[in-house]
Amino acid sequence: MKRLLGVALGVLTAIGGFVDIGDLVTNAVVGSRFGLSLVWVVGVGVLGICLFANMSGRVAAASGRATFEVIRERLGPRAGLANLSASFLINLMTVTAEIGGVALALQLASSVHYLLWIPVAAVAVWLVIWRVKFSIMENVTGLLGLTLIVFAVALFLLKPDWGVLAGQALAPAVPAEETAPTYWYFAIALFGAAMTPYEVFFFSSGAVEEGWTVKDLVQSRINVLVGFPLGGLLSVAIAGCAAVVLLPAGISVTSLSQVILPVAEGAGKLGLAFVLVGVVAATFGAALETTLSSGYTLAQFFGWSWGKFRRPAQAARFHLAMIICMLVGIGVLATGVDPVLVTEYSVVFSAIALPLTYLPILIVSNDPQYMGKHVNGRAVNVLAMVYLVIILVASVAAIPLMIVTGAGA
Amino acid sequence: MRSGELREPGMCRGWEARVPDTPATAPRRFLTLGLAAFAICFLAGCSGGISESVSTAAKDSSSAVATARLALKQDMDGKLTRAATATTLDDAQKEVETSRSTVQKLSPATPADRDTQRQALDVLDRCAAGFFTARAAVSADDGGAAPSTADGDRALAAAQDALEQLSHMVGSR
Repeated sequence: MKRLLGVALGVLTAIGGFVDIGDLVTNAVVGSRFGLSLVWVVGVGVLGICLFANMSGRVAAASGRATFEVIRERLGPRAGLANLSASFLINLMTVTAEIGGVALALQLASSVHYLLWIPVAAVAVWLVIWRVKFSIMENVTGLLGLTLIVFAVALFLLKPDWGVLAGQALAPAVPAEETAPTYWYFAIALFGAAMTPYEVFFFSSGAVEEGWTVKDLVQSRINVLVGFPLGGLLSVAIAGCAAVVLLPAGISVTSLSQVILPVAEGAGKLGLAFVLVGVVAATFGAALETTLSSGYTLAQFFGWSWGKFRRPAQAARFHLAMIICMLVGIGVLATGVDPVLVTEYSVVFSAIALPLTYLPILIVSNDPQYMGKHVNGRAVNVLAMVYLVIILVASVAAIPLMIVTGAGA
Repeated sequence: MRSGELREPGMCRGWEARVPDTPATAPRRFLTLGLAAFAICFLAGCSGGISESVSTAAKDSSSAVATARLALKQDMDGKLTRAATATTLDDAQKEVETSRSTVQKLSPATPADRDTQRQALDVLDRCAAGFFTARAAVSADDGGAAPSTADGDRALAAAQDALEQLSHMVGSR
């Protein structure tokens, strides 16, 4: 019974923790401009993150070490540094976007300007990382993030023409007002949002934090293979709400305040309360994860002592690195740069950096020295190779499309 | 490091390698310069005229005004809190201000372009006035001489009509 509860909790937190500011904004932008015609990208992205997160969790469980640590050792410092540089910079952008997202959500609840909320959000993130146990941190933010299900509820309450939505999803086409390059630019952004690199590093480091062994592989698989796809459905619901309310009104999403309007339209003030709690929880949870991921990647590359399972004094450089990352994020936000803009760029740059993140994971998970009998099977490798091609194409096409479309303008 | 000194193998191994500037690298340099020149020409070609910029500004502002009207409607229907309405209006107003600033910075080359820019600025000023009325309505307590939410919606509806006319005018050129 206890094990079953553990599995249920893992799945629920995986669903609630799947959506972050990148998913919220990108799905709403895409829904408001393309309807559900890009929903297939969410499917491709979710399958990809399931594949590589599962691989990453297996590396951690089989070797007892986090993926990044193994990559550094297996591929050497130069390949590790390429991986670190790409992942760390994207992660830093994501930390900035998530802290900004918390502040924007709090502004929506209070109408106090988001710049005043940024230090509050950052201090709260630091306090939780400093004081709260890993499992509590994960479960509380993940479960509160589940309130974002209100997007799915609102979609039903809006009573949309399901035939039209299904038509958009099943027969994707570029809308008349948009161009093909813009369509593909947002396809890449959506793919980058679903496959954000920090998720796999956090997942594998979290496995070490929680002391997973090969006995926990089944639970890890269930968390990933059930939780992430259900989280992906939340992403589709966000896009669906935007497609039903914002697209017909000629509204293109450029701010977080627009993302919540369809929920208020469908579910009123109660729905609004749920969505605000959900957005704060999702962005706050992701701010914790990305901040921790910054510390994890740096510490695992340089061989520092790391982990929340250690007292802060025993992992001083790990904690200092996280504090510095947060200060950099606050500094960037203090310039007045729009957090939504940072989010939009971070998901596209995520897509650009994906090959540097995922190729090493694939190599390591095929090494019997680390994995023993838990190396990838043939089917997983074939699928992973297909994904590497997709990732490479997305990575190469991202910058030219960004230039041609003026970043999707 | 002195020449001939051995490095310990480690993190920096191989970083000291340098590609000598031999004739073999010259074609690569020309290729790089060619690509850079192509990129500059391409980017220059991508930038549209004043009509395109005004059209984009009108489209963005129209989206912002539609957002504000939706928020006001939800506020009037009791679906949105005052804090969320005020934040939505502020965000939308910022979008219009950005569009106005973009149009203002344009350098029209012909009298027709100058006329387009002036008309666009007039319309965007009307939008700003509409937002001012709507924001005042949301900020004010009930009663008094402050405009009502319905007044704000009417002002924004007028701004939306003007934006539509501007879009048609620019589109027909």
